[in-house]
Amino acid sequence: MSSLRQIAAILKKDIISELRTKEMLTSMFLFVMLTMVIFNYAFGADRNNLTPFGGGMLWITFLFTAILGLNRSFVHEKDEGCLEGLLLAPVDRPVIYLGKMTGNLIFLSVIEIVTLPIFTVFFISHNYFPQIGWFIIALILSNLGISATGTLLATISINTKTRDMMLPILFLPIIIPLLIGAVVSTGQIMAGTKNFESVYSSLKFLGVYDIIFLLISYGLYDFVLGE
Amino acid sequence: MKQRMGLVFGIIAGILLLAVFYGAFMVTPMIVTPKAPDGVFSQKMFYFHVPIALTSFVASAIGAIAAILFLVKKERKYDFISYSSVQLALLFGFLVEWTGIIWTRMEWGAWWAWEPRLTTYLIFMLVYAGYFVLRSSVSDENARARYCAVYAIIAAINTPLSFFSIRLIPAVHPVVFTTSGASMETSMLVTFLIGMAGMTCLFISLLITRTKTESLKEEVDYLKNIIGG
Repeated sequence: MSSLRQIAAILKKDIISELRTKEMLTSMFLFVMLTMVIFNYAFGADRNNLTPFGGGMLWITFLFTAILGLNRSFVHEKDEGCLEGLLLAPVDRPVIYLGKMTGNLIFLSVIEIVTLPIFTVFFISHNYFPQIGWFIIALILSNLGISATGTLLATISINTKTRDMMLPILFLPIIIPLLIGAVVSTGQIMAGTKNFESVYSSLKFLGVYDIIFLLISYGLYDFVLGE
Repeated sequence: MKQRMGLVFGIIAGILLLAVFYGAFMVTPMIVTPKAPDGVFSQKMFYFHVPIALTSFVASAIGAIAAILFLVKKERKYDFISYSSVQLALLFGFLVEWTGIIWTRMEWGAWWAWEPRLTTYLIFMLVYAGYFVLRSSVSDENARARYCAVYAIIAAINTPLSFFSIRLIPAVHPVVFTTSGASMETSMLVTFLIGMAGMTCLFISLLITRTKTESLKEEVDYLKNIIGG
Protein backbone atom coordinates (compact mmCIF):
# COMPACT_ATOMS: atom_id res chain seq x y z
CA MET A 1 0.00 0.00 0.00
CA SER A 2 2.71 2.43 0.95
CA SER A 3 4.48 2.04 -2.40
CA LEU A 4 1.18 2.79 -4.13
CA ARG A 5 0.99 6.00 -2.12
CA GLN A 6 4.59 6.82 -3.07
CA ILE A 7 3.75 6.35 -6.76
CA ALA A 8 0.72 8.59 -6.29
CA ALA A 9 2.90 11.23 -4.62
CA ILE A 10 5.39 11.30 -7.50
CA LEU A 11 2.52 11.41 -9.96
CA LYS A 12 0.85 14.24 -8.08
CA LYS A 13 4.09 16.23 -8.10
CA ASP A 14 4.38 15.81 -11.89
CA ILE A 15 0.77 16.76 -12.52
CA ILE A 16 0.88 19.83 -10.26
CA SER A 17 4.10 21.13 -11.80
CA GLU A 18 2.64 20.57 -15.28
CA LEU A 19 -0.62 22.31 -14.43
CA ARG A 20 1.37 25.33 -13.19
CA THR A 21 3.46 25.75 -16.33
CA LYS A 22 1.39 23.81 -18.90
CA GLU A 23 4.43 23.92 -21.19
CA MET A 24 4.56 20.16 -21.87
CA LEU A 25 0.90 19.70 -22.75
CA THR A 26 0.79 22.89 -24.82
CA SER A 27 3.82 22.01 -26.88
CA MET A 28 2.65 18.42 -27.35
CA PHE A 29 -0.79 19.58 -28.47
CA LEU A 30 0.61 22.15 -30.89
CA PHE A 31 3.02 19.58 -32.27
CA VAL A 32 0.17 17.18 -33.04
CA MET A 33 -1.89 19.90 -34.72
CA LEU A 34 1.05 21.07 -36.83
CA THR A 35 1.89 17.53 -37.88
CA MET A 36 -1.67 16.98 -39.05
CA VAL A 37 -1.55 20.10 -41.20
CA ILE A 38 1.80 19.02 -42.62
CA PHE A 39 0.38 15.57 -43.40
CA ASN A 40 -2.45 17.09 -45.34
CA TYR A 41 -0.05 18.88 -47.67
CA ALA A 42 2.55 16.09 -47.72
CA PHE A 43 -0.01 13.66 -49.10
CA GLY A 44 -1.39 16.23 -51.52
CA ALA A 45 -4.11 18.68 -50.52
CA ASP A 46 -6.43 17.62 -53.34
CA ARG A 47 -6.65 14.11 -52.03
CA ASN A 48 -9.70 13.91 -49.78
CA ASN A 49 -9.55 10.34 -48.53
CA LEU A 50 -6.51 9.51 -46.42
CA THR A 51 -8.28 6.75 -44.46
CA PRO A 52 -5.97 3.92 -45.66
CA PHE A 53 -2.98 5.80 -44.22
CA GLY A 54 -4.79 6.64 -40.98
CA GLY A 55 -2.93 4.20 -38.73
CA GLY A 56 0.50 5.26 -39.93
CA MET A 57 -0.23 8.98 -39.71
CA LEU A 58 -1.79 8.61 -36.28
CA TRP A 59 1.20 6.84 -34.77
CA ILE A 60 3.89 8.95 -36.38
CA THR A 61 2.16 11.95 -34.81
CA PHE A 62 1.71 10.36 -31.39
CA LEU A 63 5.15 8.79 -31.28
CA PHE A 64 6.96 12.04 -31.94
CA THR A 65 4.83 14.00 -29.56
CA ALA A 66 5.55 11.28 -26.97
CA ILE A 67 9.28 11.85 -27.49
CA LEU A 68 8.70 15.55 -26.91
CA GLY A 69 6.91 14.83 -23.65
CA LEU A 70 9.36 12.20 -22.42
CA ASN A 71 12.30 14.53 -22.90
CA ARG A 72 10.48 17.38 -21.21
CA SER A 73 9.59 15.27 -18.20
CA PHE A 74 13.23 14.49 -17.49
CA VAL A 75 14.92 17.73 -18.55
CA HIS A 76 13.04 19.41 -15.71
CA GLU A 77 14.06 16.80 -13.19
CA LYS A 78 17.68 17.03 -14.21
CA ASP A 79 18.01 20.81 -14.53
CA GLU A 80 16.30 21.70 -11.28
CA GLY A 81 18.08 18.90 -9.41
CA CYS A 82 14.75 17.18 -8.69
CA LEU A 83 16.12 13.77 -9.65
CA GLU A 84 18.69 13.96 -6.85
CA GLY A 85 15.89 14.94 -4.50
CA LEU A 86 13.84 11.96 -5.59
CA LEU A 87 16.84 9.67 -5.15
CA LEU A 88 17.42 10.98 -1.64
CA ALA A 89 13.79 10.42 -0.69
CA PRO A 90 13.11 7.14 1.10
CA VAL A 91 11.44 5.41 -1.86
CA ASP A 92 12.49 2.37 -3.86
CA ARG A 93 14.01 3.06 -7.26
CA PRO A 94 11.37 1.03 -9.14
CA VAL A 95 8.73 3.16 -7.44
CA ILE A 96 10.27 6.24 -9.05
CA TYR A 97 10.06 4.43 -12.38
CA LEU A 98 6.40 3.56 -11.94
CA GLY A 99 5.59 7.11 -10.84
CA LYS A 100 7.33 8.73 -13.79
CA MET A 101 5.92 6.16 -16.20
CA THR A 102 2.36 6.73 -15.02
CA GLY A 103 2.86 10.46 -15.43
CA ASN A 104 4.08 10.09 -18.98
CA LEU A 105 1.24 7.69 -19.73
CA ILE A 106 -1.34 10.15 -18.47
CA PHE A 107 0.08 13.13 -20.38
CA LEU A 108 0.25 11.15 -23.62
CA SER A 109 -3.30 9.86 -23.12
CA VAL A 110 -4.64 13.35 -22.43
CA ILE A 111 -3.13 14.63 -25.66
CA GLU A 112 -4.57 11.68 -27.56
CA ILE A 113 -8.06 12.15 -26.13
CA VAL A 114 -8.01 15.80 -27.16
CA THR A 115 -6.54 15.35 -30.64
CA LEU A 116 -8.10 12.08 -31.77
CA PRO A 117 -11.52 13.59 -32.60
CA ILE A 118 -9.79 16.31 -34.63
CA PHE A 119 -7.66 13.71 -36.40
CA THR A 120 -10.75 11.67 -37.24
CA VAL A 121 -12.61 14.67 -38.64
CA PHE A 122 -9.58 15.70 -40.68
CA PHE A 123 -8.59 12.41 -42.25
CA ILE A 124 -10.94 9.50 -41.62
CA SER A 125 -13.98 9.04 -43.83
CA HIS A 126 -15.19 5.77 -42.30
CA ASN A 127 -17.31 5.81 -39.14
CA TYR A 128 -15.45 3.51 -36.75
CA PHE A 129 -17.53 4.41 -33.71
CA PRO A 130 -19.09 0.91 -33.41
CA GLN A 131 -15.59 -0.52 -32.88
CA ILE A 132 -14.48 2.25 -30.55
CA GLY A 133 -14.00 -0.24 -27.69
CA TRP A 134 -11.31 -2.17 -29.57
CA PHE A 135 -9.79 1.08 -30.73
CA ILE A 136 -9.44 2.31 -27.16
CA ILE A 137 -7.87 -0.99 -26.08
CA ALA A 138 -5.33 -0.67 -28.89
CA LEU A 139 -4.64 2.91 -27.85
CA ILE A 140 -4.15 2.02 -24.18
CA LEU A 141 -1.87 -0.93 -24.92
CA SER A 142 0.27 1.16 -27.29
CA ASN A 143 0.51 4.06 -24.85
CA LEU A 144 1.56 1.70 -22.10
CA GLY A 145 4.37 0.31 -24.26
CA ILE A 146 5.52 3.77 -25.32
CA SER A 147 5.63 5.04 -21.73
CA ALA A 148 7.22 1.86 -20.34
CA THR A 149 10.12 1.84 -22.82
CA GLY A 150 10.29 5.60 -23.16
CA THR A 151 10.65 6.34 -19.45
CA LEU A 152 13.60 3.96 -19.12
CA LEU A 153 15.36 5.22 -22.25
CA ALA A 154 14.65 8.88 -21.44
CA THR A 155 16.36 8.41 -18.09
CA ILE A 156 19.40 6.98 -19.85
CA SER A 157 19.50 9.65 -22.54
CA ILE A 158 19.13 12.59 -20.14
CA ASN A 159 22.34 11.44 -18.43
CA THR A 160 24.40 11.41 -21.64
CA LYS A 161 26.40 14.26 -23.14
CA THR A 162 23.93 14.83 -25.99
CA ARG A 163 20.94 14.68 -23.60
CA ASP A 164 17.60 14.96 -25.42
CA MET A 165 19.24 14.33 -28.81
CA MET A 166 19.91 10.78 -27.70
CA LEU A 167 16.34 9.71 -26.98
CA PRO A 168 15.09 9.32 -30.58
CA ILE A 169 18.19 7.31 -31.52
CA LEU A 170 17.65 4.83 -28.69
CA PHE A 171 13.88 4.92 -28.52
CA LEU A 172 12.72 4.72 -32.14
CA PRO A 173 14.40 1.42 -33.13
CA ILE A 174 13.28 -0.22 -29.89
CA ILE A 175 9.70 0.95 -30.38
CA ILE A 176 9.37 -0.26 -34.01
CA PRO A 177 7.71 -3.60 -33.09
CA LEU A 178 5.14 -1.78 -30.97
CA LEU A 179 4.62 0.79 -33.69
CA ILE A 180 3.86 -1.95 -36.22
CA GLY A 181 1.32 -3.53 -33.88
CA ALA A 182 -0.27 -0.16 -33.14
CA VAL A 183 -0.45 0.88 -36.80
CA VAL A 184 -1.93 -2.44 -37.92
CA SER A 185 -4.57 -2.58 -35.19
CA THR A 186 -5.76 1.03 -35.21
CA GLY A 187 -5.34 1.38 -38.97
CA GLN A 188 -7.51 -1.66 -39.66
CA ILE A 189 -10.19 -0.47 -37.25
CA MET A 190 -10.23 3.05 -38.71
CA ALA A 191 -10.44 1.66 -42.23
CA GLY A 192 -13.42 -0.47 -41.16
CA THR A 193 -11.95 -3.88 -41.84
CA LYS A 194 -14.26 -6.88 -42.07
CA ASN A 195 -11.46 -9.26 -41.15
CA PHE A 196 -10.76 -8.73 -37.47
CA GLU A 197 -8.19 -11.52 -37.30
CA SER A 198 -5.16 -9.25 -37.81
CA VAL A 199 -6.55 -6.74 -35.29
CA TYR A 200 -6.79 -9.44 -32.62
CA SER A 201 -3.30 -10.76 -33.27
CA SER A 202 -1.90 -7.20 -33.17
CA LEU A 203 -3.63 -6.56 -29.86
CA LYS A 204 -2.22 -9.78 -28.44
CA PHE A 205 1.22 -8.77 -29.64
CA LEU A 206 0.88 -5.33 -28.06
CA GLY A 207 -0.08 -6.97 -24.77
CA VAL A 208 2.96 -9.26 -24.87
CA TYR A 209 5.26 -6.34 -25.74
CA ASP A 210 3.87 -4.29 -22.84
CA ILE A 211 4.31 -7.07 -20.30
CA ILE A 212 7.87 -7.84 -21.42
CA PHE A 213 9.04 -4.24 -21.45
CA LEU A 214 7.26 -3.25 -18.25
CA LEU A 215 8.97 -6.09 -16.40
CA ILE A 216 12.38 -5.43 -17.94
CA SER A 217 12.26 -1.68 -17.40
CA TYR A 218 11.04 -2.18 -13.86
CA GLY A 219 13.92 -4.55 -13.18
CA LEU A 220 16.62 -2.50 -14.89
CA TYR A 221 15.67 0.97 -13.66
CA ASP A 222 17.76 0.57 -10.54
CA PHE A 223 20.90 0.20 -12.68
CA VAL A 224 20.03 3.21 -14.81
CA LEU A 225 19.79 5.56 -11.84
CA GLY A 226 23.14 4.37 -10.51
CA GLU A 227 24.70 4.68 -7.09
CA MET B 1 47.45 -21.64 -24.34
CA LYS B 2 44.82 -19.12 -23.28
CA GLN B 3 46.78 -16.38 -25.04
CA ARG B 4 46.60 -18.26 -28.31
CA MET B 5 42.92 -19.23 -28.22
CA GLY B 6 41.90 -16.40 -30.54
CA LEU B 7 44.49 -17.43 -33.08
CA VAL B 8 43.60 -21.12 -32.86
CA PHE B 9 39.92 -20.48 -33.41
CA GLY B 10 40.79 -18.10 -36.23
CA ILE B 11 42.81 -20.75 -38.04
CA ILE B 12 40.07 -23.35 -37.58
CA ALA B 13 37.53 -20.85 -38.88
CA GLY B 14 39.69 -20.14 -41.94
CA ILE B 15 39.99 -23.84 -42.80
CA LEU B 16 36.28 -24.51 -42.28
CA LEU B 17 35.19 -21.49 -44.31
CA LEU B 18 37.48 -22.53 -47.19
CA ALA B 19 35.83 -25.95 -46.97
CA VAL B 20 32.43 -24.28 -47.25
CA PHE B 21 33.52 -22.52 -50.44
CA TYR B 22 34.65 -25.84 -51.85
CA GLY B 23 31.50 -27.63 -50.67
CA ALA B 24 29.13 -24.96 -51.91
CA PHE B 25 30.55 -24.58 -55.38
CA MET B 26 32.06 -28.01 -56.12
CA VAL B 27 30.20 -30.66 -54.16
CA THR B 28 26.60 -29.70 -53.53
CA PRO B 29 24.11 -30.13 -56.38
CA MET B 30 22.33 -27.25 -58.07
CA ILE B 31 18.74 -26.76 -56.96
CA VAL B 32 16.53 -27.30 -59.99
CA THR B 33 13.10 -25.69 -60.13
CA PRO B 34 10.50 -25.76 -62.91
CA LYS B 35 11.24 -22.09 -63.64
CA ALA B 36 15.02 -22.58 -63.76
CA PRO B 37 15.88 -25.98 -65.29
CA ASP B 38 19.62 -25.16 -65.32
CA GLY B 39 19.66 -24.74 -61.59
CA VAL B 40 19.41 -21.79 -59.23
CA PHE B 41 22.94 -20.51 -58.72
CA SER B 42 21.92 -17.86 -56.19
CA GLN B 43 20.88 -20.63 -53.82
CA LYS B 44 24.61 -21.11 -53.07
CA MET B 45 24.29 -17.99 -50.93
CA PHE B 46 22.38 -20.15 -48.46
CA TYR B 47 25.60 -21.76 -47.16
CA PHE B 48 26.96 -18.38 -46.11
CA HIS B 49 23.89 -16.30 -45.42
CA VAL B 50 22.14 -18.58 -42.93
CA PRO B 51 25.22 -19.38 -40.78
CA ILE B 52 26.03 -15.66 -40.60
CA ALA B 53 22.45 -14.90 -39.61
CA LEU B 54 22.41 -17.50 -36.85
CA THR B 55 25.80 -16.30 -35.60
CA SER B 56 24.54 -12.72 -35.41
CA PHE B 57 21.71 -13.90 -33.14
CA VAL B 58 24.26 -15.72 -30.99
CA ALA B 59 26.34 -12.54 -30.83
CA SER B 60 23.37 -10.48 -29.72
CA ALA B 61 22.44 -13.10 -27.11
CA ILE B 62 25.99 -13.23 -25.74
CA GLY B 63 26.03 -9.43 -25.65
CA ALA B 64 22.93 -9.51 -23.45
CA ILE B 65 24.10 -12.37 -21.22
CA ALA B 66 27.45 -10.66 -20.60
CA ALA B 67 25.51 -7.45 -19.88
CA ILE B 68 23.41 -9.21 -17.25
CA LEU B 69 26.57 -10.69 -15.72
CA PHE B 70 28.09 -7.23 -15.63
CA LEU B 71 25.09 -5.74 -13.86
CA VAL B 72 25.09 -8.55 -11.32
CA LYS B 73 28.82 -8.98 -10.69
CA LYS B 74 30.08 -5.48 -11.57
CA GLU B 75 33.26 -6.85 -13.18
CA ARG B 76 34.74 -4.84 -16.04
CA LYS B 77 35.58 -7.88 -18.13
CA TYR B 78 31.88 -8.61 -18.70
CA ASP B 79 31.42 -5.11 -20.02
CA PHE B 80 34.25 -5.72 -22.49
CA ILE B 81 32.74 -9.04 -23.57
CA SER B 82 29.32 -7.44 -24.00
CA TYR B 83 30.74 -4.51 -25.97
CA SER B 84 32.80 -6.78 -28.23
CA SER B 85 29.87 -9.09 -28.79
CA VAL B 86 27.60 -6.22 -29.74
CA GLN B 87 30.22 -4.98 -32.20
CA LEU B 88 30.25 -8.41 -33.78
CA ALA B 89 26.45 -8.55 -33.78
CA LEU B 90 26.43 -5.36 -35.82
CA LEU B 91 29.16 -6.68 -38.13
CA PHE B 92 27.40 -9.99 -38.72
CA GLY B 93 24.07 -8.19 -39.04
CA PHE B 94 25.57 -6.07 -41.79
CA LEU B 95 26.90 -9.18 -43.55
CA VAL B 96 23.46 -10.84 -43.33
CA GLU B 97 21.88 -7.78 -44.84
CA TRP B 98 24.47 -7.59 -47.58
CA THR B 99 24.28 -11.26 -48.57
CA GLY B 100 20.49 -11.03 -48.35
CA ILE B 101 20.43 -8.02 -50.65
CA ILE B 102 22.64 -9.79 -53.21
CA TRP B 103 20.27 -12.76 -53.12
CA THR B 104 17.22 -10.50 -53.49
CA ARG B 105 18.81 -8.83 -56.50
CA MET B 106 19.54 -12.17 -58.16
CA GLU B 107 16.19 -13.72 -57.40
CA TRP B 108 13.67 -10.90 -57.56
CA GLY B 109 15.60 -8.39 -59.66
CA ALA B 110 15.31 -5.63 -57.07
CA TRP B 111 17.95 -4.34 -54.68
CA TRP B 112 15.51 -3.98 -51.87
CA ALA B 113 12.25 -5.65 -50.96
CA TRP B 114 10.38 -5.10 -47.71
CA GLU B 115 10.65 -8.75 -46.97
CA PRO B 116 10.22 -9.72 -43.28
CA ARG B 117 13.68 -11.12 -42.68
CA LEU B 118 15.55 -8.34 -44.46
CA THR B 119 13.45 -5.79 -42.61
CA THR B 120 14.12 -7.50 -39.29
CA TYR B 121 17.83 -7.19 -39.93
CA LEU B 122 17.51 -3.57 -40.90
CA ILE B 123 15.84 -2.89 -37.54
CA PHE B 124 18.45 -5.09 -35.85
CA MET B 125 21.24 -2.94 -37.30
CA LEU B 126 19.51 0.31 -36.35
CA VAL B 127 19.05 -0.89 -32.77
CA TYR B 128 22.70 -1.86 -32.45
CA ALA B 129 23.90 1.30 -34.17
CA GLY B 130 22.17 3.19 -31.33
CA TYR B 131 24.33 1.25 -28.87
CA PHE B 132 27.50 2.81 -30.26
CA VAL B 133 26.08 6.32 -30.26
CA LEU B 134 25.14 5.78 -26.62
CA ARG B 135 28.56 4.39 -25.79
CA SER B 136 30.38 7.33 -27.28
CA SER B 137 28.30 9.96 -25.50
CA VAL B 138 28.79 8.98 -21.87
CA SER B 139 32.12 10.03 -20.41
CA ASP B 140 31.95 8.39 -17.00
CA GLU B 141 33.19 4.81 -17.38
CA ASN B 142 30.93 3.19 -14.82
CA ALA B 143 27.82 4.96 -16.03
CA ARG B 144 28.71 4.11 -19.63
CA ALA B 145 29.08 0.45 -18.83
CA ARG B 146 25.78 0.39 -16.93
CA TYR B 147 23.75 2.21 -19.60
CA CYS B 148 25.23 0.10 -22.37
CA ALA B 149 24.50 -3.10 -20.45
CA VAL B 150 20.88 -2.06 -19.98
CA TYR B 151 20.58 -1.16 -23.65
CA ALA B 152 22.24 -4.40 -24.80
CA ILE B 153 19.65 -6.38 -22.84
CA ILE B 154 16.74 -4.43 -24.30
CA ALA B 155 18.21 -4.70 -27.80
CA ALA B 156 18.55 -8.46 -27.60
CA ILE B 157 14.94 -8.83 -26.47
CA ASN B 158 13.79 -6.49 -29.18
CA THR B 159 15.16 -8.68 -31.99
CA PRO B 160 12.67 -11.58 -31.75
CA LEU B 161 9.87 -9.10 -31.06
CA SER B 162 10.56 -7.15 -34.23
CA PHE B 163 10.71 -10.43 -36.15
CA PHE B 164 7.23 -11.37 -34.94
CA SER B 165 5.77 -7.91 -35.33
CA ILE B 166 6.61 -7.75 -39.02
CA ARG B 167 4.46 -10.82 -39.53
CA LEU B 168 1.46 -8.90 -38.20
CA ILE B 169 1.25 -6.85 -41.36
CA PRO B 170 -1.29 -8.56 -43.60
CA ALA B 171 -0.29 -9.96 -47.00
CA VAL B 172 3.43 -10.58 -46.84
CA HIS B 173 5.04 -13.76 -48.03
CA PRO B 174 7.54 -14.87 -45.47
CA VAL B 175 8.93 -18.11 -46.94
CA VAL B 176 12.05 -17.34 -48.93
CA PHE B 177 14.45 -20.18 -48.65
CA THR B 178 12.61 -23.27 -49.79
CA THR B 179 15.44 -25.62 -48.84
CA SER B 180 14.00 -26.75 -45.56
CA GLY B 181 15.85 -29.26 -43.42
CA ALA B 182 13.71 -32.18 -44.49
CA SER B 183 14.35 -31.83 -48.20
CA MET B 184 18.07 -31.11 -47.93
CA GLU B 185 20.48 -33.58 -49.44
CA THR B 186 23.28 -34.96 -47.27
CA SER B 187 26.03 -33.02 -49.06
CA MET B 188 24.06 -29.81 -48.66
CA LEU B 189 23.41 -30.43 -44.99
CA VAL B 190 27.08 -31.24 -44.36
CA THR B 191 28.21 -28.08 -46.18
CA PHE B 192 25.72 -26.04 -44.22
CA LEU B 193 26.86 -27.52 -40.91
CA ILE B 194 30.52 -26.89 -41.78
CA GLY B 195 29.54 -23.31 -42.56
CA MET B 196 27.79 -23.07 -39.21
CA ALA B 197 30.85 -24.40 -37.36
CA GLY B 198 33.16 -22.12 -39.34
CA MET B 199 31.14 -19.00 -38.60
CA THR B 200 30.92 -19.92 -34.92
CA CYS B 201 34.71 -20.36 -34.74
CA LEU B 202 35.19 -17.06 -36.54
CA PHE B 203 32.87 -15.38 -34.04
CA ILE B 204 34.67 -16.90 -31.04
CA SER B 205 38.05 -15.92 -32.45
CA LEU B 206 36.95 -12.33 -33.09
CA LEU B 207 35.23 -12.10 -29.71
CA ILE B 208 38.37 -13.20 -27.85
CA THR B 209 40.54 -10.82 -29.83
CA ARG B 210 38.19 -7.85 -29.42
CA THR B 211 37.74 -8.44 -25.70
CA LYS B 212 41.49 -8.60 -25.22
CA THR B 213 41.94 -5.40 -27.22
CA GLU B 214 39.41 -3.61 -25.04
CA SER B 215 41.07 -4.64 -21.79
CA LEU B 216 44.51 -3.74 -23.18
CA LYS B 217 43.11 -0.36 -24.17
CA GLU B 218 42.01 0.26 -20.61
CA GLU B 219 45.38 -0.82 -19.31
CA VAL B 220 47.13 1.59 -21.67
CA ASP B 221 44.83 4.43 -20.53
CA TYR B 222 45.63 3.60 -16.93
CA LEU B 223 49.37 3.60 -17.56
CA LYS B 224 49.15 6.83 -19.52
CA ASN B 225 47.37 8.45 -16.59
CA ILE B 226 50.14 7.34 -14.24
CA ILE B 227 52.83 8.79 -16.50
CA GLY B 228 50.87 11.96 -17.17
CA GLY B 229 49.86 12.56 -13.57
